[in-house]
Amino acid sequence: MPEKTIFLIDLREGQKGTIVSVLGGYGVVQRLTDMGLTPGTEFEMLRKGLLCPVEIFIRGSKLAIGRGVATKILVKAKK
Amino acid sequence: MKNKITIALAGNANVGKSVIFNQLTGLHQHIGNWPGKTVERAEGTLYHGDYTIDVIDLPGIYSLSTFSMEEMISKEYIAKEKPDVVINVIDATTLERNLFFTLQLLELERPMVIALNQMDLVKKKGIAIDIERLQKFLGVPVVSVIATQGVGVHELVDESIKLAKKGYKKPKKMKYGKEIENEIEQILKPLNKIELDYPKRFIAIKLLEGDEEIKKMIESIDSKIIRIAESGAKKIQCIHGHARPTILACERYKVANDIVKECVVFETPKVTFSDKLHEITIHGVWGYLILISIVVSLFYLVFNFGNFFSDILINAFMGMTPAFEKIFGTGIASKLIWGVIEGLIAGITIILPYILPFYIILGLLEDSGYLSRIAFLMDNFMHKIGLHGKAFIPLMLGYGCHVPACLGCRIMETKRERLIAVFVTTLVPCAAVTTVILGLVGKYVGLTWAFLLYIVNLMIVFVLGRIAFKVLPGEPTELIMEMNSYRMPHLKTVAKQAWFRIKDFIYIAFPLIIACSFLIKVLDVTNLSVSIENLMKPITVDWLGLPAFSSIALLAGIPRKELTLIILATYGGTTNFAAILTPVQMIVFSLVTMLYIPCIATIAALVKEIGWKKALFITVFEIVFAIFVGGIVLRLLTL
Repeated sequence: MPEKTIFLIDLREGQKGTIVSVLGGYGVVQRLTDMGLTPGTEFEMLRKGLLCPVEIFIRGSKLAIGRGVATKILVKAKK
Repeated sequence: MKNKITIALAGNANVGKSVIFNQLTGLHQHIGNWPGKTVERAEGTLYHGDYTIDVIDLPGIYSLSTFSMEEMISKEYIAKEKPDVVINVIDATTLERNLFFTLQLLELERPMVIALNQMDLVKKKGIAIDIERLQKFLGVPVVSVIATQGVGVHELVDESIKLAKKGYKKPKKMKYGKEIENEIEQILKPLNKIELDYPKRFIAIKLLEGDEEIKKMIESIDSKIIRIAESGAKKIQCIHGHARPTILACERYKVANDIVKECVVFETPKVTFSDKLHEITIHGVWGYLILISIVVSLFYLVFNFGNFFSDILINAFMGMTPAFEKIFGTGIASKLIWGVIEGLIAGITIILPYILPFYIILGLLEDSGYLSRIAFLMDNFMHKIGLHGKAFIPLMLGYGCHVPACLGCRIMETKRERLIAVFVTTLVPCAAVTTVILGLVGKYVGLTWAFLLYIVNLMIVFVLGRIAFKVLPGEPTELIMEMNSYRMPHLKTVAKQAWFRIKDFIYIAFPLIIACSFLIKVLDVTNLSVSIENLMKPITVDWLGLPAFSSIALLAGIPRKELTLIILATYGGTTNFAAILTPVQMIVFSLVTMLYIPCIATIAALVKEIGWKKALFITVFEIVFAIFVGGIVLRLLTL
């Protein structure tokens, strides 16, 4: 089954994915890559409530990511 | 003979750096600011054998880019001041992310020791780390540490001294991909011919990354180097197909990941108690219920205890009045001296019973890691006023005292966000205002009304915050926050933190409180107060519907807001406020007190943080706004 590119926010809880790229200015991209969201990195969507930031597991630790920026991160979803 | 060396502590946020700093320096600490910057600089001294060791605690950061002031300061400090040793504190449970920063630190080419902290948690989480191997890969000594128990702290010092004695030896170079190493080589050729504070390889890498500050610096020396770097960056961007900062970050993480693969074994992951606690405290339903109950019980506890304790204190102080009058008589001089003493008492009776306990409990929540869960839960709400979840933390501090809360707004990333955060923080009722609300409305009108005032306040914070967000240009920074594991709070660190926050208050506020309370006595003895009452009549009596003597009380609130209540009693001639104020007057008075001016100490803190122009603007705005709202509420209540 071919993998498709979607936004991080569109993953389901418990679903795994790979970072493709981050859309945004120099600052946001730098911050996210510094925190380990580099292209090709595998991660898991841990939590995606209605009101809160999303929580992902990446590079051995949990990260909270604001919903706004989570709609700017392109990922490939794993089946 | 005494030997002097300097050690800098560097590492990610929440890895236990401040605990290690406390273990090392104990009581010999000095917390100040970096020159010209509103970033905290913690410095301490350690005496170890023949050595006097200066320890600098650098801000907790994730990278050495120029994203934030903290990162710039850390980078400059290590490169320019050249500490003898850098201790890199690492959270062993999230090695990969931490190593990303370690690799950058290594590029600054200072002698380095690694403190592998939280080794107790590592075992609990079912992770095994081969320290010997890690040491070999990084080429620097690695010490296993459990900071909260003091394990390994001695070894850290020993290793640091050993390194400092040996003198500087270039640490192992971390190799990146061939195409990148080629470009670095190209940039190094001309770069090696010039004198710089920073290591050449570090500069070359930063130029490839496109670091603006470094670019500016080199541009002014030799713009040819920039051209070489730019063309090199283009080449690697073509090969990788990503933006340049991303490429270098990828490379570093690749190295970090390789090291982790070689040195760490993840056994079957165990679900620890901390994990379960994490799950429930950020849960969409339970999380909020827990948050509400913690906040409510925090306030209940602190203000019940505070009330009880401050009554005892005030009675004790007031018991001294006869003795005082015996010595100094009851003349004008005596009244003026008493004014000074009253200011002192007002300060003490707010710090000890209210602010100190509040900050100790808040410190426990912070050190355990709960505050980052609050930031998580409140992120969406805070976004509505243009801030992200972390801004909720200074806002909560504001319920204690605005002075440390304003300084606490430094955790916000941009100037614009600091301004909004500082502004909404000054609108929140601090402990002093709470004593007024509870002592007046709570006692004589009813707790429901007092509670309602808090709700009204929250609404005002929200509306004004939202307006500020719309008026000030710029997009809000998004929350990107590591969710560290919960841990047992380290009591000594918490106590220190609370003390430093209160010290902010004492240094800034105390002298001002005393001076102002003296001034008010002067007004009193010179009978100027009557003319002031007449002058303020159109506002206090006509617009706000308050008795004329309330103007002096409101003026007295400028040094400390709790003084409003004391002066009200003095001028009304009784502490039974029901006899001198109607319930509506009490509500209006409390509301105005809550909003009308950041107290003098807060204004001083504002000037320090955002400059006098903006501080003045906020002050004037809040006075006008409070009077406006007070009048409206009066008219609504007397419809």
